[in-house]
Amino acid sequence: MHLIIFQWLVNDYFCLIFLLISPGGFAFLPFLWLVNVVWFFREAFLKPSYTEQLQIKAYVKRSALGLLLWVAVLTTWITIYQHFRAEWGEVGDYLSFTIPLGIP
Amino acid sequence: MNASDSDEDIYNERSALVRSESPALPSYIPDSDLTPPNGTPTKRLKAGISRRPGAAAADGGGSDPEVEAEEEELTLKYGAKHVIMLFIPVTLCMVVVVATIKSVSFYTEKTDQQLIYTPFTENTSSVGRRLLNSVLNTIIMISVIVVMTIFLVVLYKYRCYKFIHGWLILSSLMLLFWFSFMYLGEVFKTYNLAMDYPTVGVIIWNFGAVGMICIHWKGPLQLQQAYLILISALMALVFIKYLPEWSAWVILGAISVYDLVAVLSPKGPLRMLVETAQERNEPIFPALIYSSAMVWTVGMASPNETQRSEPDEEAEQSDGRAEPPSRHSRLLPEDEMEEDRGVKLGLGDFIFYSVLVGKAAATGGDWNTTLACFVAILIGLCLTLLLLAIFKKALPALPISITFGLVFYFSTDFLVQPFMDNLAAHQFYI
Repeated sequence: MHLIIFQWLVNDYFCLIFLLISPGGFAFLPFLWLVNVVWFFREAFLKPSYTEQLQIKAYVKRSALGLLLWVAVLTTWITIYQHFRAEWGEVGDYLSFTIPLGIP
Repeated sequence: MNASDSDEDIYNERSALVRSESPALPSYIPDSDLTPPNGTPTKRLKAGISRRPGAAAADGGGSDPEVEAEEEELTLKYGAKHVIMLFIPVTLCMVVVVATIKSVSFYTEKTDQQLIYTPFTENTSSVGRRLLNSVLNTIIMISVIVVMTIFLVVLYKYRCYKFIHGWLILSSLMLLFWFSFMYLGEVFKTYNLAMDYPTVGVIIWNFGAVGMICIHWKGPLQLQQAYLILISALMALVFIKYLPEWSAWVILGAISVYDLVAVLSPKGPLRMLVETAQERNEPIFPALIYSSAMVWTVGMASPNETQRSEPDEEAEQSDGRAEPPSRHSRLLPEDEMEEDRGVKLGLGDFIFYSVLVGKAAATGGDWNTTLACFVAILIGLCLTLLLLAIFKKALPALPISITFGLVFYFSTDFLVQPFMDNLAAHQFYI
């Protein structure tokens, strides 16, 4: 029964998620992938296997991959920005959303 | 900044406390059997209270006093759990608002900008004039709310679901993107951090997109609850900033009276909304209601979707519960797994509770006032939930809490605060 109920959940949710994961779709959603990974982790890896589980596992792995990629990109960009912001002069100001006041 | 019309509808339709249908008795007995450790203490606690309603029911009903008493007891025990389940989100919302008020000065800065709904300024010279202006502001605000509520109920009655849904999406878009963008900006300015547009763009885009999905479609229950709490807090902050001082207090009082009237009177718009939704057996729009238990509400309340809501609920029942699988086999013969439907609280209630506590934090003396208002609101909520367990129909959640909150605010600010200060000044401890 658990299986039948779960199929509903899987088919429905993942149709959309799949759309969002694919490069053509909205690919800038690491938070959504994090939610996927956290929420479906137990289903994908810690439950006794059933037929849909392979599909879920694949999705969870793709989400995790995308998440890791995005975390890496964001971390590098933020480090670069915070470090070199003052030195970039005008470009730095143009990129800035808030500029701290005072002397560092 | 002028808040748009679409904001108004968010809170005015949400001030209602709805109890989901009381589950049938047979499905309860396995429930209470399986949870003896945490069940029994509350059972013993509630047993004392249930005697009185049980006895009253026996006098009036006369059918089967034992079953009545047991059902009352279970209902009240059930109610106690849900009181706790509602305390936590209300507390969280208030904590977020108070923390923001105390740290980010933007929301307490005096500004001459006002919402278009409160056109009369409070910068007048005489007290009488100021009072008059605040009353006029309240009248305008309340009439706007009444008109919007009636408009929404009419739309709902005539099944203009697309319009309502579009309206809700627009207002939650604005809340999730624009207001959170402003909020983030102010937080960064307060803590003097540098932030660049690309990163902010990614953060806001993620926050907003996942929020839209969670609120209007499906998502993990906790995430949906967290988002609803956050947007209530954001809305409350906007009110705290843009409502003038005295107008805010008068508006709070007036809106709790309106809530009482709208939910309890037979032709009240909110009551009609709830009744129509129950008649049609549809969930009320997910973007307006906080649900404390594991029930997914399907996004659009359209007829073909309601057939999906049945299996959705069943799917949710099994997914959200932490109980072992043996439980499912017990419940298998049941057709409707109507277990833990929980209590629903409108988002308008969250918003106005937080406005009260936030105003107390912003303009009151110090933490005494804030804490007093906080406790008052929780007491009011507790009482309201108790009444809900007794009456078993939709009740307004604002009046009792706001009344207590206002009473506590004014008495603490004007009586208790100077008293405590004097005691401390004279080093007199009681």
